[in-house]
Amino acid sequence: MNPAAGISRRSLLRAAANGFGLLPVAHLLAQDDGRTRVPHHPPRAKAVIFLYMDGGPSPQDLFDYKPRLVADDGKPFAAKKEPTQFRDDGNTLGPRWPFRRHGQSGQWISDLLPNLASVADELCVIRSMTANFSEHTNANYFLHTGHGLQGRPSFGAWIGYGLGSAAADLPAFVVLNGGLIPPGGIDNFHSGFLPAHTQGSVFRTRGDVVGNIGPRERSSTWQQRKLDLVRALDAHAQARDPGGDAIEAAIANQELAFAMQSAVPELTSLAGESPALRALYGLDHEYEHTRTFGRQCLLARRLVERGVRFVELTCPNTGHDRWDQHSNLVAGLQDNCRTIDQPITALLLDLKARGMLEDTIVLWGGEFGRTPFAQGTTGRDHNPFGFTMWAAGGGFRPGTSFGTTDEFGYKAEQDPVSVHDLHATVLHLLGIDHERLTFRFGGRDIRLTDVYGTIHKGLLA
Amino acid sequence: MGNNFRPAARIRYRVRYAQGVVVGAVLAGVAAAQGGLPGAVGEEEFAARRQHWAWQPLRVVPAVAEAGGMVDALLAEVQADAGLVAAGPAAPHTLLRRLWFDLVGLPPPAEVVARFEAEPSEAAYRGQVEALLASRAFAERQARHWLDLVRYAETLGHESDYEIPNAWRYRDYVVRAIDADVPFDQFVREHVAGDLLPTPRRNAAGEDESVQGTAFWWFAEQTHSPVDARQHESDRIDNQIDVFGKAVLGLTVACARCHDHKFDAIRAADYYALAGFVRSSRYVQQPLFEYEPQGTEYLTAVAAQRAFSTAWLANGGTPPLEGGAEFATRDGDEILAHADRPAAWLRDNDGFGASPWSEPWLENPATTPLTLRRLPGAWWHSGIAGTAREGVLGTATFTIQRPFLHVRVAGRGSRVRVVVDGLNLLRDPIYGGLHRYVDDPEPHWVTFDLRTWPGSTAYVQGLDQRAPDLADATRGTSPYDDHAWLAVQAVLASEHREPPHVATDNGATTVQEANPTPGLQAAAAALQQARDALRIAPTLPAMGDGTGVDSYVHLRGKHDLPGPTVPRQFLAALADVGSPPALVGSGRLALAEAVFSPTNPLPARVFVNRVWHHLFGAGIARTVDNLGALGDTPEAQELLDWLAQDFVASGWSRKHLLRRVVLSAAYRRAATNTPAADERDPRNRTFHRQNVRRLEAEAVRDALLATSGLLRDEAFGPPVALPHEALDPARGMPPTSGPLDGAGRRSLYLAVRRNFLSPMLLAFDQPTPFATVGARNVSNVPAQSLALLNDPFVHHACRAWAERLGDQRAAFAPALDAVFLAAFARRPDPTERDHCRELLASAAAEHGVEPSAVAPWADLLHCLVIAKEFTYRR
Repeated sequence: MNPAAGISRRSLLRAAANGFGLLPVAHLLAQDDGRTRVPHHPPRAKAVIFLYMDGGPSPQDLFDYKPRLVADDGKPFAAKKEPTQFRDDGNTLGPRWPFRRHGQSGQWISDLLPNLASVADELCVIRSMTANFSEHTNANYFLHTGHGLQGRPSFGAWIGYGLGSAAADLPAFVVLNGGLIPPGGIDNFHSGFLPAHTQGSVFRTRGDVVGNIGPRERSSTWQQRKLDLVRALDAHAQARDPGGDAIEAAIANQELAFAMQSAVPELTSLAGESPALRALYGLDHEYEHTRTFGRQCLLARRLVERGVRFVELTCPNTGHDRWDQHSNLVAGLQDNCRTIDQPITALLLDLKARGMLEDTIVLWGGEFGRTPFAQGTTGRDHNPFGFTMWAAGGGFRPGTSFGTTDEFGYKAEQDPVSVHDLHATVLHLLGIDHERLTFRFGGRDIRLTDVYGTIHKGLLA
Repeated sequence: MGNNFRPAARIRYRVRYAQGVVVGAVLAGVAAAQGGLPGAVGEEEFAARRQHWAWQPLRVVPAVAEAGGMVDALLAEVQADAGLVAAGPAAPHTLLRRLWFDLVGLPPPAEVVARFEAEPSEAAYRGQVEALLASRAFAERQARHWLDLVRYAETLGHESDYEIPNAWRYRDYVVRAIDADVPFDQFVREHVAGDLLPTPRRNAAGEDESVQGTAFWWFAEQTHSPVDARQHESDRIDNQIDVFGKAVLGLTVACARCHDHKFDAIRAADYYALAGFVRSSRYVQQPLFEYEPQGTEYLTAVAAQRAFSTAWLANGGTPPLEGGAEFATRDGDEILAHADRPAAWLRDNDGFGASPWSEPWLENPATTPLTLRRLPGAWWHSGIAGTAREGVLGTATFTIQRPFLHVRVAGRGSRVRVVVDGLNLLRDPIYGGLHRYVDDPEPHWVTFDLRTWPGSTAYVQGLDQRAPDLADATRGTSPYDDHAWLAVQAVLASEHREPPHVATDNGATTVQEANPTPGLQAAAAALQQARDALRIAPTLPAMGDGTGVDSYVHLRGKHDLPGPTVPRQFLAALADVGSPPALVGSGRLALAEAVFSPTNPLPARVFVNRVWHHLFGAGIARTVDNLGALGDTPEAQELLDWLAQDFVASGWSRKHLLRRVVLSAAYRRAATNTPAADERDPRNRTFHRQNVRRLEAEAVRDALLATSGLLRDEAFGPPVALPHEALDPARGMPPTSGPLDGAGRRSLYLAVRRNFLSPMLLAFDQPTPFATVGARNVSNVPAQSLALLNDPFVHHACRAWAERLGDQRAAFAPALDAVFLAAFARRPDPTERDHCRELLASAAAEHGVEPSAVAPWADLLHCLVIAKEFTYRR
């Protein structure tokens, strides 16, 4: 049906008389469904896998090599400090592990990530990220929704809203929960004011993967038999009392739910994956958390394969309070890196081997970085002024280091990339103009990138 | 000895502030040349915006019919204008089911349907309307709509999801107010300034109802340990103004935070004029009654204290020393408040009495030896009349200009805190030191280190209360014991880390009597008796009045770019012409009056439109939370205005308004498609038919409870916890797990914890409480179907329903009639009956039991629940 038919002549006249009146009418017609929207321009990528490093990993120990920090280790910090969360600022804390250059591209990566270093040429490392908040919750909301307070739609929800799901039996936005829901809770994955179907569906990695996914009937035949009655009743009711388009949609939805009951177990059964591949992902690793994260990474690939648009992974609980190393930095980073290093590398290699890396964006990072000076003596405090994230595939330029921080790895200096910029760039690669992906709420056309967002061409392949 | 601020902090702040002032001055200078604040909208443009339809006075609509027929007459004009023919009336069973869900959020019971089906007369319909309007279920249903507007929650969200102690009392207040049909203007006045009304509304128990409305200000999300407390305050106030503006006025006032509103007649100055009201108010646990209504008991207890002292002397006791030691101030000490000057203090609760206390007093009549104490000089004291009385004592708001603060106190089980930039959630790592327990009956100093907050505004509060403070370290517990009290003498700002020396600091001269005479024992017993007579007042999070402070405009919305200070007042474009009223304290009372000035048509228009939305699934103006320029322009403006006037004329009676609408023919029309009309008006903006709607989350769950017989008709009280199994473990996990069926309580009474909302209710679009939601999402997600298919609660309810049928199951046809009546408010037709009978037969084979057994019927009922007719209202 032509949506314009929805506007009566009278309301058009009245709206026109009111100046701004046409906007809301257009808006009322626009926002409703979960249909795939036409991209604004040809996309480079179809899907995003976001490896979310909850807590804020330390760039100074992983990717952002600074000789000055090595030289100043243990000395008073030689630059101006911003207020920190714990206000227990100590001396300069150099990297706790040696750095080396890797691959053709010669990217600096520390010895903590030996596997990832082997695929350095796939990575587009952004060393100049900035965020607006020093507290986890605000920073998490900001990274996920482009806004520091609760209630806005998540990055993945916006993408699902823009592109719809390409999977018939799975939602567009899936969160694979490794065990730690980040501060701010599941609202980090919420649809906010967008239609609820765009909300992230949180899949657990073990047990009942999706809430209420398991039928309680003794057999699926019996459930099917019951649903036959439901279908008959619904059809009968619709025939007798036509006119519920919403009801028609709900009937369709019930079929999707029914399909998910078998699609999800099929998704999570890894029986069809070769032993070699499972070993590559670390599914038989001696360290429990590597096995968990390996399973998440493998599931992420399987989800993208099935047409899911946005897959976010949260971290397993290694007992070090996420990547939030306020103290005991060495042990915390060791365990966390051990958890992710092999699985992430496997994910990149696997995607590449299948030709999927070309149109799948893999994104790694946390809500902020950490201070180049110590908190107390063995930790680092939060630092939103300059930190590292990396992307691979999906049109990001491989084998690149983009942007710099100052000589201490403290604040972004050259080519700073804000969270809004990152969102804008990822949307761009997905074929979405971040300024045109809007939703009217509370009287405003709201975007993921608010009134900001620059696409950094240097990040693009 | 100089200033103890860390030089860096002080310089940083000064530089930042000075830069702000300079930039602000430049911007303001540029603006002054242009006649307003930076980016200000010109007067002409502003005046044009003021002409927007929603801002105009309610128009006088000619009486084209008698009052009862006006809704239909006005709609008929609109429909005729559009060349439409409206749909016919809905079938009686459809109408009854619609009426029940819309008014009370529950399905009509089978016997009610059967009666109505037998005689679906006008009188019978009106009888139903009146019965439903009079029921408490009506108030519970309508209360939930209001809670959506005020983002009602029982926790603060953020990282740890701390509890808002006693938030649920506000929910109960809303239910009672709607049940009693409190006039809507009064209801909103109570929200804005219920703590300040000259004659608060009291319930039968003598409790103050009005004060409870102000709780709505405190449902904003709160962060613990924000690095920038001032920024956090700005964000919190933004949410408070946003909710106030949308819920009451249907305007996006908060869009004027950074600049004049882009489209509406709202200036940035208006925003900061409103912000001043909020900044001048404080979070307090307010009691539901003060001592006024129970004045005799309170004064008796005070008199018994004095009588005991007299008895002490009469029985030969040593009098405690008079006076005792005072402290001496030094260079660099500044007395911010002293009990010698009682007028400078703010008391938000009555525990500290009407004036400071300087006489001897008996701490606890029930213990021996009896201990008579005396504090040096005059002290605010919450322990005189006894410990049933609680109190919050505050200083005026001050600017932090000295690095240390010394507070002279004595007490047990009580607290002192410094509230910086309005931040109440005083927690580690940054703010924990701003909150201290007092547990020493001898006078002593409590010292606060304020070096982190130079230039911030702050006030000191002493708390003697049972409710946990937001700052309490352990969730849900209070250090309070039955003998808690607090005495406060003075608050000093100081350059010195050490408090002033007190020459002979044995000021609380204490005398004890281990072997009291019978006379003294009698006096102690009389005091104990007087204390026991004092009721403990329940409390809830509410507004307390603070020092009146105007806010400065934050240029570009940045708090460190100060613009001009603006006086507190209501939106200039809606205010009465003439001089604004003189403000007392925060000035919220004047704000409440200004909202309902005759020049403001918005509260009535907005509310009427909301009610229409709930009865038709769409407002007369679709954008129920925004009637501003970007909102929808209604097709039936005259109808909106007539209803608003009728509503006001009825004394702002919510029940009158709902009655008016549900008695109209428009409300009673069928929702069936009408091809001719749908072609011309497919979005049904002229309401030529009813709309098919999915039930709201709460109604889905409540309908399951009602039909299955699990529903427990019990109102009010603390929220029912959700079962832990339904929640994903995360930080701030609720302390207790609740029953699968929520103890059979209506969904209104389930816990509303921001980070742990019910997954089932969320799946059906219960909003997350962060902003005003007048029109809920109506989504269509697999999680909804999965919940109905597989949720253990759904299976539990169906089984309970089958069990409840009992012997009825033996007779298939009547039993099926009964369950269809309960589920769909109609009887099955022969086809449906055949389908259901077949299923029962298959189920009997599947389970290996008789078709009349529980298991087959549970399966059948489950099918009815999954069928769309169960979750949709036509």
